[in-house]
Amino acid sequence: MRIRLLAREHLGTVAVLFVLTLGACLLVAGLPRATQAAYDEALRRDLQAAPAVQTDLAVTVSSGSRAEDLRERAQFDSRERLWREILPPELRPLTAPSSAGHMSAKTTLTPITGTGGKSFLNLGWLSDADRRVDWVRGRAPGAPATTRYEGETIPVFEVGVVEQALDKMNLRLGQTVFVGENDYAAVKIVGVFRAKDPGDRYWSHNSDILRILEEQPPGRQDFVRHITTLTSDAGLSALSGEGRNLTYRWILPLVPRAADALDVPGLRAAVHEFDRVVALQTVGTSSPYYLVTGLPELLTGFLAELSTAQTVMYLVLGGLLAVALGVIILAVQLLADKLDHTLSLARARGGSLPQVAGTAAALTALAVAPAAVIGYALSYLVPGPVLPIVHAGPVIVVVVTVGFAVVRPALLHRTPLHERREDVATARPSARRITLEVLVVVLALAGAYLLRARGLNASAGQDPFLLVVPIALTVAAALITLRCYPYPLRLFVRLSARARAAVPFLGLTRAARSRSGSVLPVLILLPALGVSVFAAVVSDGIASTQRLAAWQQVGAPVRVSTESEIPADAIERVRRLAGVEQVVPAQTGRVQVGYGAERAEAIAVDVAQWRAILGDAPVGLPALSDGVLVSPELRGRGTLEIGWQSRLKLATRGVIESVPGFFTTGKFVVVPIGVQLRPAVNTLLIKGDVSLPELARLVPSARVVSQESAMAAIQDDPLTSTVRSTLVVVTVALAAYALVAVVLSLVVGAAERARTVSFLRTLGLSERQAQRLTVLEILPMILVTALVGLGLGLGLPAALGPGVDLSSYAGDLAVGDYSLDLFLPSALAAGLAVVAVLGAYAHTVISRRRSLGAVLRVGDST
Amino acid sequence: MNPTLSELEAKATRQKAAFGGDSHIVCDNLVRIYKTEGVEVVALQGLDLVIDKGELVAIVGASGSGKSTLLNVLSGLDVPTAGVARVAGMDLLSMSPRDRLRYRRSVVGFIWQQTARNLLPYLTARENVELPMKLASRGKARRGRAEELLELLGVDSCAGRRPPELSGGQQQRVAIAVALANSPQLILADEPTGELDSETSEQVFDALRTANRELGVTVVIVTHDPLVSEQVDRTVGIRDGRTSSETLRREGAEGQIIAEEYAVLDRVGRLQLPRDFTSALDMERRVRLELESDHIGVWPAREEPSND
Repeated sequence: MRIRLLAREHLGTVAVLFVLTLGACLLVAGLPRATQAAYDEALRRDLQAAPAVQTDLAVTVSSGSRAEDLRERAQFDSRERLWREILPPELRPLTAPSSAGHMSAKTTLTPITGTGGKSFLNLGWLSDADRRVDWVRGRAPGAPATTRYEGETIPVFEVGVVEQALDKMNLRLGQTVFVGENDYAAVKIVGVFRAKDPGDRYWSHNSDILRILEEQPPGRQDFVRHITTLTSDAGLSALSGEGRNLTYRWILPLVPRAADALDVPGLRAAVHEFDRVVALQTVGTSSPYYLVTGLPELLTGFLAELSTAQTVMYLVLGGLLAVALGVIILAVQLLADKLDHTLSLARARGGSLPQVAGTAAALTALAVAPAAVIGYALSYLVPGPVLPIVHAGPVIVVVVTVGFAVVRPALLHRTPLHERREDVATARPSARRITLEVLVVVLALAGAYLLRARGLNASAGQDPFLLVVPIALTVAAALITLRCYPYPLRLFVRLSARARAAVPFLGLTRAARSRSGSVLPVLILLPALGVSVFAAVVSDGIASTQRLAAWQQVGAPVRVSTESEIPADAIERVRRLAGVEQVVPAQTGRVQVGYGAERAEAIAVDVAQWRAILGDAPVGLPALSDGVLVSPELRGRGTLEIGWQSRLKLATRGVIESVPGFFTTGKFVVVPIGVQLRPAVNTLLIKGDVSLPELARLVPSARVVSQESAMAAIQDDPLTSTVRSTLVVVTVALAAYALVAVVLSLVVGAAERARTVSFLRTLGLSERQAQRLTVLEILPMILVTALVGLGLGLGLPAALGPGVDLSSYAGDLAVGDYSLDLFLPSALAAGLAVVAVLGAYAHTVISRRRSLGAVLRVGDST
Repeated sequence: MNPTLSELEAKATRQKAAFGGDSHIVCDNLVRIYKTEGVEVVALQGLDLVIDKGELVAIVGASGSGKSTLLNVLSGLDVPTAGVARVAGMDLLSMSPRDRLRYRRSVVGFIWQQTARNLLPYLTARENVELPMKLASRGKARRGRAEELLELLGVDSCAGRRPPELSGGQQQRVAIAVALANSPQLILADEPTGELDSETSEQVFDALRTANRELGVTVVIVTHDPLVSEQVDRTVGIRDGRTSSETLRREGAEGQIIAEEYAVLDRVGRLQLPRDFTSALDMERRVRLELESDHIGVWPAREEPSND
């Protein structure tokens, strides 16, 4: 049949179908790309933020004898080539080329002779030292020599150290020190160097060369210091593992920019595989090669964070796809209804079933296929990797839509004469169907219960159970709604039958009888509202928890803290700064509890003033005028005696879980600032709209943070912002789809309704009554669905509560109590109802233009 | 001696062929029951009808008497529940869907009462006529055939116009052309003049008569229109799902039309007496029959003596 002619005839419906498909394909193909791009970005940031020593692959081996020593650079190079050869293919694109990597040989715990294990001077060699350091004093180390010491010939290494080592370890340029306790060597300090770029990730592997490691062994007052010196290539030839802890390392640096969130599980396996094959290269030595990297742990942590994001995204995107398909199918149904005359006639005049179904399918495909292609093409404007769903999404949309367009006419026109009795309500459902529905409802409830009872192991990756339960709950809610909503309606019908007005009775009766036609809108509206309310609640939960986390991090609108005391005049200047409303000085410190070694963190502050500047912030403190507030660990001690400048005896006035902005764990106390004889203020809590750089200028060397900047930092995370923006996009899209569904379901029933209204108008129904009739007819379905959808959306977060851990998007605070901010969900439901009413009015206004006779005659069958 | 299987088969087919013989349309004890929501409606209750090839027959009856159901059965759109329905030698009860499709494509054509229902509004008259030929994958001669038919029915001037631009009569004549497109042997028309004024009805009826005479097509018209029923050779009346009467028209010696109404005697000898006759003679429940040499007499039941 002439598809083009048909398309022109039903241009409006075809255009609606086109637009709906375009939007659906764009969303279904575009959103996953955007979210995946955010996942990649998050992984790259995670890898970039982690120290290189954790992310890079370090092949390590220790030398235990002269035979195992590597004395020349060439020996290092040949092994480096070997590591790169056996590197698993998954890791190759992620590792920087040889030029960016480096090799090292370092001794550890090499004591300076005679210091009694207090000073350690390790010998180190870096393959690219000449590129990494500048010699600021003396000269670069040269070849080693030998000397006699205690009757033996020992090597003399020429080395360089950092400036700090000279000061702290009492060394000087030109000095020769002996190292070792029985296997001695002499070390001559010939130069002092400085890192060309101390901030480079490179130095994460060699921080022992740049900085002294100080440690305080238990029970000792003084510090033990370690430094690693730098020797030359020639020095390497004399460096032996015999009698020393000598370790060789080959560093294969990771390129964070090349990381891909999709490959993470494969990467973990590849690292383990690399570790295994590296160990296999051990031939003829006592100590094996092994891999040192924190990459698998880092990736595992990332996966846990990712799987939560993916779960939420799968839920909302799946809901979006389902709703979009539902609305598109509703549009196809509208098109099929409009085609009904053509197809019936063609079928009666000798059209075969394939011809009839093919016509409907071809017309649908004409609208859907180009839209899907354009939507698919437009999705490439969204930055992000191409996932299978990007291709599959539009294909699913087209296949389902065209499939429905084929199946529906095929079933409808199986027998040529299909005089349907649409006014007859459907028969009582069969026992089998009721059993099945009850089974679905029971399974959904049991699933939700089990999910709550079991909780979720986020690090285990995707949990299909978590995805199935919301779907089952939605289906169960839809079944219950469809099955149960006619009952209260019939009650209203019975009540309205007694009333004098005819319109409520007629409208409600029609609503109660038109069940078969209203299944699809219910199936669309319910998940649409459910998912959008769910998305709104989750998004809202994340937002409020982010706010809470920001307050907990800072503890005040603005906080200025320093290591040393802030002078009184500086405080005064801060008070006079434009925008400052209130300044609360505080002193923090580490205090002695009782007379023993027990220590606690303490803050002395005017709690009342602090409470005043916190205002309506989601954090707070109990009031305190005298005495002390203690952490749970210091609970139950009655009067606490602390040593802070002077001995203070304070009665415990309360137990607090945390001091916002300061302490969250361990032992801490809050005391009124009045108890200090002369408080040394080192923290200012400020309220007001104030410029942070200005504050930093007024209080030199201070750390200035604001609640807003902390909030911005939390929200800046790519995962967090994508999760939130996707939730917002999906909410808006679903609301739009819900509205389209209402309008479409109005239009689908338009012809039939127009006939009824026209008929009733011949009996004396006024226009106003006709409008009320239409509204009453659709309102019960909209209202019931809106309420159930609202309940479902509000209930889902509670049902999935322990299963979805959103803490990584909210500054590591658990998004626990979803505050029931009913504004947005109620606005969605109310908007839906209003649009439905407006649609009904608009519909009656349009149908008024048609003459009664024409309406009553068209399609009237004998 | 017991008959052989082939003899039995031959006997069975012989007997079946006995009613109606090789007539074009044969309905024997046709039953159609509709079932909706557990409520059964018997639309046809054992209807008998025989129509010969090339006949022009009108079927009349009150609303709900089963005329449209009969037409739907004959057009292959509906399947009867029981009985025999044979058109052009094809059994309408045992047809496979493929046969049914072929039947609708090449054996039967039909016209509905609603002019709007017969034609697709966005196709021209010629395209509408070509549509059934396209559906049946007929060859390239479509266009010629369409124009031929439109000319035959006197609407060739409307070939390039769309249905909304045509008058009701023109639409129905184009609809007849559509029904004739695939050269069917039978045309069924359900109140084809129901929506038309008498003058236009005349044109439409003429078109049907033209098709009947010129093309030799059997035409069955369901109608209320006395104008139509008075102009056909035979009018079959249907009451309560059964054929109740037949009116035959013939030309008398002086050229005047003589219409004779007959009651229908079915295969098992049942007869429907017109209600006026029975009530006039107060016949109820029982009648007395008497066989005379050339007729059967029907008498009211005699008052029985009480001691009898």
